Amino acid sequence: MDDMRLTERTVETNDSKITARKVQVYYGDTHAIIDVDVDILDKAVTAFIGPSGCGKSTFLRCLNRMNDTISVARVEGEIKIDDEDIYDPKVDPVQLRAKVGMVFQKPNPFPKSIYDNVSYGPKIHGMTRSKAELDEIVEKSLRRAALWDEVKDRLNEPGTGLSGGQQQRLCIARAVATEPEVLLMDEPCSALDPIATAQVEELIDELRSNFSVVIVTHSMQQAARVSQRTAFFHLGYLVEYGETGKIFTNPEDPRTESYITGRIG
Amino acid sequence: MTLNTEQHIQSVYDRDLEAVQALVVKMGGLVETAILEAAEALEARDEELAEAVRERDRAIDALEERVNEETARLIALRAPTASDLRTVLTVMKIAASLERTGDYAKNMAKRSHVLAQMPQINGAGGALRRMAKTVEAMLKDALDAYIQRDLELAHDVRHRDLDVDQMYNALFREFLTYMMEDPRNITACMHLHFIAKNIERMGDHATTIAEQVIYLVTGELPEESRPKHDHLTAAPLGDNGD
Amino acid sequence: MTDASLSNAPAAPRSSRSLHTVDERTRKRNASEKRFRAYGITAILIGLVFLAVLAVSIVRSGMPAFSRMVVDIEFTLTQAQFDEAESQLMKTSAYQEFFNAALQERMESAGVTVPFDAAAVERILGKTGGTIREFYRANPDRLGEPVRFELPAASRVDGYYKGRLSRDTMVDSRFLMTTDLDIVDAMHDAGILKRGFNWTFIQGTDSGVDNPGGAGIGASVIGSFFMMIVVLVLSLPIGVAASIYLEEFAPQNRFTDLIEVNISNLAAVPSIVFGILGLAVFIQFMHLPQSAPLVGGLVLTLMTLPTIIIATRASLKAVPPSIRDAALGVGASRMQAVFHHVLPLAMPGILTGTIIGLAQALGETAPLLLIGMVGYVAREYPDGLIAGFTEANSAMPAQIYTWAARADVAFYEKAWGGIIILLMFLLTMNILAIILRRRYERRW
Repeated sequence: MDDMRLTERTVETNDSKITARKVQVYYGDTHAIIDVDVDILDKAVTAFIGPSGCGKSTFLRCLNRMNDTISVARVEGEIKIDDEDIYDPKVDPVQLRAKVGMVFQKPNPFPKSIYDNVSYGPKIHGMTRSKAELDEIVEKSLRRAALWDEVKDRLNEPGTGLSGGQQQRLCIARAVATEPEVLLMDEPCSALDPIATAQVEELIDELRSNFSVVIVTHSMQQAARVSQRTAFFHLGYLVEYGETGKIFTNPEDPRTESYITGRIG
Repeated sequence: MTLNTEQHIQSVYDRDLEAVQALVVKMGGLVETAILEAAEALEARDEELAEAVRERDRAIDALEERVNEETARLIALRAPTASDLRTVLTVMKIAASLERTGDYAKNMAKRSHVLAQMPQINGAGGALRRMAKTVEAMLKDALDAYIQRDLELAHDVRHRDLDVDQMYNALFREFLTYMMEDPRNITACMHLHFIAKNIERMGDHATTIAEQVIYLVTGELPEESRPKHDHLTAAPLGDNGD
Repeated sequence: MTDASLSNAPAAPRSSRSLHTVDERTRKRNASEKRFRAYGITAILIGLVFLAVLAVSIVRSGMPAFSRMVVDIEFTLTQAQFDEAESQLMKTSAYQEFFNAALQERMESAGVTVPFDAAAVERILGKTGGTIREFYRANPDRLGEPVRFELPAASRVDGYYKGRLSRDTMVDSRFLMTTDLDIVDAMHDAGILKRGFNWTFIQGTDSGVDNPGGAGIGASVIGSFFMMIVVLVLSLPIGVAASIYLEEFAPQNRFTDLIEVNISNLAAVPSIVFGILGLAVFIQFMHLPQSAPLVGGLVLTLMTLPTIIIATRASLKAVPPSIRDAALGVGASRMQAVFHHVLPLAMPGILTGTIIGLAQALGETAPLLLIGMVGYVAREYPDGLIAGFTEANSAMPAQIYTWAARADVAFYEKAWGGIIILLMFLLTMNILAIILRRRYERRW
């Protein structure tokens, strides 16, 4: 009898998609992220866990320069995607965000039709030349988000009329429509019920065959279920980063162990 | 939302559970082979076969280690509940039972190696082989019950342990007579006795596996204690009655 | 483990009160809440009473402006008569004679026996000759056929029937004599003189002080209309653009804080200050035409801008930041996020604020005072579109004030009538604002 697909561990062979070195983030005078070094792998799911206020969302937002919109935030250090520094003055944040998509905590579809929601990104980035191409992209993205069968007959209805789980999948479809290479997810399931959460987690598992996914979650169990690599943040530091199974069965740093076993919060 | 009672929404969870159960089934196959080969080696006084059985026990031990690692991961990463939890717990117990059974088979092989050097005791090898076959059949049925989640089969296996115990009792008395007949037989008979004891213990492990199957399916261990006919500790020596 | 109690005395049993019994505190609290509700209802009732009184008095005082006494007469002028009248030196008197003759016939056929002469007719009906002549010169094809005329009575006759004038207090004058009243009564009984709708009030222009009957609000409505167009076209884009910049793009520093504080203060500046500003800048410095709706519009724009900016900022702030984040996350630039997503969602609030600002501007009188629209007698309609902006005109509130300030009591009802019309416009605009807001409000 041959092997069981305990293949999640074979991500060892993937390349690094995002490399961060000595990243610091300041909010005014507060030093929110301190000396973070991490390599995020391609075609794998990386989870950021840690107690509230530890900086995981802040660091996530550095990866697509969303912190630029906050005037008191300052980012130092080097973050490279595919070996290109994204904080280089030549880089246009708008173009970066076409390459690095984002899904937020509360599902926030535009108050437009489902079709317009998904097609907005490709339209403003000039990715298509004809309506037929746009239709194709919309269908592909909705299929990727496992939503096509449920909405294919009502593409012109408002996106806000869907259920919570469907709305979040719509937001995922919207994010993948611009063909990004990295997908950032900031607590995507916190506003969803357990069944919708499980559906989104299954979706994330499917997405990783095409994208590098980074997910911030306050639920350790979710990180355990869904990721191949886990990074534990605490008080602005990256305490431990490693293969998920190892972190949850035998972490190296005592702080990691305390957090995971529920001894610190 | 339809209730799919067969599969988890997260397919990788199903894959992990199936994988770890497959490991156990693989172990079971190896152990069955080991029992049969050990018995064969004993009867045929085949030293090479005995040696091979001892080698293959390593594979069984390696599998048990893997099962332990995988179940630890499963518990840490998936926090299984209800039937999933019972699946994981029974996998651990069954693997442990199988590993001990494999060790007994290895011991059998070791002793048959030694016995091959000594003069043969008539009939012993055949009796032991029959006992071994019975036990192997129990193990096979227990594993089948596990794969099929078959409650009746599991209960049946439990009751067959009675036969094995009786066979052991019979052999015990037989070896006693041989030893009383001729003191030169004592060494061989002692070895044979230990082998018989090992086989009887294998039967107990097969019963444990069957009980784990009952726990897996119903959520509770069987209430009535397993039938035992191990009266030897109670009965005084020389008593032939039952 | 013993269960020794800490004190020797037995603990007092906890009084278990039934939920069904009402205790003192609850009663007192319920009573004070009832009192509070009563105060609230009383306050509302008082407000409603005042509102009712106001409405009733406006309607009672203003409704007479919409009606007037007219003489209803069928009159035929033949081509021959026309030619004869035109050939004379005193053309209007000729028409007058023809008319008087027809009137005499009519009166006799109706059985009115009271004697009257041409002078009396002139006092009662005014100079009808001119009216008739103008009509036939404009419509020569109606010669020879009977034409029905509704000629308005003189304002004193009108006043007699509306209660401003009575036989006892009247003094004979060149405007009206007591004997004329007999004629008028007889005509009224015969059905020749009756009450008709006063179209002149709505369509006409302002008349001089001596002709209250002919005064109309039409010209000032047009004046107000052009002013509102100026206000809309200027203040909406400027206000919205300024607001968007301040809300979305301006950096957070002392300078922008200063601007924001000043905008809020501007909304509270008395409107007459804007009038002075308009006078100094637009009329004296830029030499724009005085009393023109253009200037009035510019002044009112300055006044309305703070309102629109504040309403727009509130609407923009009300758009949840998750929409902006979503747009930015998909890769829209700040401009795209604002124009494609935030602005459409803020539109209902912006529109409502604009319409309310316009409604406020419509009713402002003080700034118009200084630029000359109050007191200006708007005698004619403007000629064309450009003239509509640049020709001197009046505006509704200014017109009302002008009428109210005139000595002749007949203008009193005109002022009230103007108030009714102004209120109707304001009501319409506010209802429009509510409808627009309901229609375009979206839930997100």
